[in-house]
Amino acid sequence: MDSRQNNDCLKKKESNRRQGKQCGRREFLSGALKAAALGSAAMVSGCGTGLLGSSEESALKWQEYFKKNYRLMTQEEKDETVARLERLAKLRKGVDIQMSSKEPVEDVLFGYAFNLTRCEGFMECVAACVKENNLDRKSQTQYIRIFEMEPGEMTPESGDGKYFHKVPVENHFYMGVQCFHCESAPCIKACPTKATWREPDGIVVVDYDWCIGCRYCMAACPYYGRRFNWNEPQVPVKEMTKKQHYLGNRMRGKGQVEKCTFCVQRSRAGRLPACVEACPTGARVFGNLLDPKSEIRFVLKEKKVFRLKEELGTDPKFWYFID
Amino acid sequence: MKTPTLKSYLFRILPALIIIFSGLQAYAGQGGVVETIKKAIVPFNDEEQVDSVPPLPRDTVLVKTKYQGGIFWTETRKDKVERFKCSQCHNNKDVTIARAAEMAHGDISSVHGGKLRPLSCFTCHKKDERDFLVTEKGSKVDMDHSYRMCGQCHFRQQKDWVGGAHGKRVSFWAGKRVVKNCTSCHDPHSPLFEKRWPKTYSRPIVK
Repeated sequence: MDSRQNNDCLKKKESNRRQGKQCGRREFLSGALKAAALGSAAMVSGCGTGLLGSSEESALKWQEYFKKNYRLMTQEEKDETVARLERLAKLRKGVDIQMSSKEPVEDVLFGYAFNLTRCEGFMECVAACVKENNLDRKSQTQYIRIFEMEPGEMTPESGDGKYFHKVPVENHFYMGVQCFHCESAPCIKACPTKATWREPDGIVVVDYDWCIGCRYCMAACPYYGRRFNWNEPQVPVKEMTKKQHYLGNRMRGKGQVEKCTFCVQRSRAGRLPACVEACPTGARVFGNLLDPKSEIRFVLKEKKVFRLKEELGTDPKFWYFID
Repeated sequence: MKTPTLKSYLFRILPALIIIFSGLQAYAGQGGVVETIKKAIVPFNDEEQVDSVPPLPRDTVLVKTKYQGGIFWTETRKDKVERFKCSQCHNNKDVTIARAAEMAHGDISSVHGGKLRPLSCFTCHKKDERDFLVTEKGSKVDMDHSYRMCGQCHFRQQKDWVGGAHGKRVSFWAGKRVVKNCTSCHDPHSPLFEKRWPKTYSRPIVK
């Protein structure tokens, strides 16, 4: 990745030099607009904080418009944008957030297993997920869905996903569905702006600022794993999770697609995702697939496992198993 | 007609062999994540690779069984039991206070072992040494190692627990393996989870 990026950069510089240009198009535009922004900001601040908010805020906003795709950023650029986003959150909402751009851990491939015998449909995982990932409270976005299923059913399409009564109900089982982080994910192929990709540790992530909201990925996903922000996500400041990751639970905007990231802000720091930690029945198993001593490897070796819609060839890293 | 020699015979089936072999190669390459997993046999070194590996929590105890990766720890129990040590009251003298059992243990109702043969207190608790539990064979078990008690009947669950398919790890997937004790989740006196309302509900799907 880095060598290719460097190569591209060198090529660009070389072509600029040959054309007698001082700098590239993107740098020129960004520079010009930053100057314009500072100028207009100065004007606005001259007559008090107007519609554009404070001058610092508008300057930061302009700089945010001209950042690169996350995968093309150098570490300094990542640090800069993280610092900008932290400052913007402080200016806009008065929240002190700690954002990270932590890289994947080497020799790690995250995998997930779900015990159909153990899940009793308490939905603690759903609530923990909403809280951890700063999901929109207004439209009640949820990454996880739990289906109440009749015995013998194998796909959640025939299950009841809207149950609200005391659980567990006799002679029923519960099946949780979320993003399966496919190895060969159709959503990645569908994205026209390369705003979504598979990280080296197997997590499929979205660069929210690079998403244009076309929702092709949602149409491509056979599991209904993605969610669209029809409105500006609203999270009360008190309930906001302050520890955030650039690719994870930072605040999204209107018109952007989001999805489960195996709680990238937690899992890359060695912690379990919020849903796993919240599960009261231990139905959820999470771990490193490349580690032969991990729990998930035990499940795959010793248990009867299956994956949802395996015949589509999406190769999900999410297995269901029974005791 | 001349019968083909072994050499010419081998020469004739060589293209077929090549085609089959390359087909197999291509098929093996399509294995996806399952194939990747099968190839990964080197243990992952948590301490070196994850930079924020947590220290071992204090209220843990080393489990006396091995799992596929070696040793692991579980949450302690004794410090979470109200009024432990039991020998404060249950020493070699009889408890003489009126209605003492009702006052001290009235909240306990044993719903364990089925209706036909319900378990009594002394199926698990050691009668002459109340700080300990006792197995069917009569060996003394520390309360922190209650998995040894449960495993007598629930041996399948115990096997899964040791491996990692039953129960759960505490907070971290990386670092030293610390798992929940049987009694962290199950009330030993009525181990079945009670029916209750779900924590939240799902909105109908809007695409």
